[in-house]
Amino acid sequence: MTRHYILFPNSNQGIKLTNCLKKENISFVISPTPRKLSTCCGISVIYDKENEDKIKRIIEQENIEINGFFTLD
Amino acid sequence: MNYFNFVVAEIHGARILELENHKKNGGKVVGTFCVFVPDEIILATNAISVGLCSGSQFWIEDGEKVLPRNICPLVKAFTGAKVSQTCPYFQSCDMIVGETTCDAKKKAWEIMNDYMPVHVMELPQMKRDKNIEQWKDEIKLFIDKMEELTGNKVTVENLKKSIDLMKRKRRALKHLYDLRKNTPSPISGLDALLVSQVAFSDDPERFIEKTEELCAELEKRVESLKPSGKKRIMVTGTPMALPNWKLHKIVESLDAEIVVEETCTGTRYFENEVSTDGNTVDDLIDNLAIRYMDINCACFTPNEGRVEDILKYADEYNVDGVIYYNLSFCHTYSIEHERVSKVLKEKNIPLLKIETDYSEEDEGQIKTRVEAFLEMI
Repeated sequence: MTRHYILFPNSNQGIKLTNCLKKENISFVISPTPRKLSTCCGISVIYDKENEDKIKRIIEQENIEINGFFTLD
Repeated sequence: MNYFNFVVAEIHGARILELENHKKNGGKVVGTFCVFVPDEIILATNAISVGLCSGSQFWIEDGEKVLPRNICPLVKAFTGAKVSQTCPYFQSCDMIVGETTCDAKKKAWEIMNDYMPVHVMELPQMKRDKNIEQWKDEIKLFIDKMEELTGNKVTVENLKKSIDLMKRKRRALKHLYDLRKNTPSPISGLDALLVSQVAFSDDPERFIEKTEELCAELEKRVESLKPSGKKRIMVTGTPMALPNWKLHKIVESLDAEIVVEETCTGTRYFENEVSTDGNTVDDLIDNLAIRYMDINCACFTPNEGRVEDILKYADEYNVDGVIYYNLSFCHTYSIEHERVSKVLKEKNIPLLKIETDYSEEDEGQIKTRVEAFLEMI
């Protein structure tokens, strides 16, 4: 199953984004970062591809630091 | 569910920091491995109780450096975690509390004692009146030990308070499990297992609040769910310590959902409550002993209560089949399979026994066996 992830340099940034997504009513799931993407222990966010543009806009507006958008099959 | 995912994703960050802060303020942290260790006592002395992770293949190799290979992976994992000093939870603990539920654990405490202070509670292996008296004495010794460690006395007030806290925690878990009785269950077995596992190490008040929030969300979901046709499965047997999600992951990748776990990381943790009746610490110890000795673990002989529990859950959760999950080399549970299988056969409830450890090598075989089992149901 294809899943889309957003990775963060630290969990504070992750929490900041999830709070914004909650406010905007955009669905997401907090998930441990898959080992395939990074060996760090931090959190990542699984999102729906259709919301990607909206999420990118929020990240820009709110100045949230991310490590990038990733897709895993 | 996001809260619980966050706790696990940040398992080596957020909670560890809380434990460190607690210690900086003079508090103590106590590690446990078994549902028989009364959390109420630990909480009453203002210490934090953490159920230690022993569900990862990662530590097996280090465990095997000091233990024989042919014992259960849970014991090898927790010993390996301490010996290799790779688990921050173990490193945070001022003391660990062991118990004598099986031979492997009983002897492993001696090795663990070389690395950190260990207090062992002798759990009686029968349920006669004199055994309940023995367990009361063990609880008293444990209170002495905790008072010595923390410098805080156990009083009627603080013990009643902690009994009440644990009661609310058990009720929150029971609420979650009751919701799984719906067809289809509003939560996957894997997610529910994760909540159960988080219960062992999280802050109790926060855990209760977040679990109730989750239950409220699930109650709404129940109204809109339509039957999915998935087979409803009960898992019974040995505990699944964090991060052991192996069986749930395999079963739920097929056309099935796990709706109840009759295990120590399932119903055995939250069933039955401790009464707060009584005016002395001794009265409350009596209540604790009675509740804890009512847990139906395979370490007891005889253990008729467990078979009755399985039948009761099969009915309550409306299960189509039962998977008997057995960690390799866990003899008490492995032997008890015979009794359970006889009774389930009489009742026409299909049963599959899976004996496995934490490695990934047999996942393919297990998947094939579960697939065949589901087709047969």
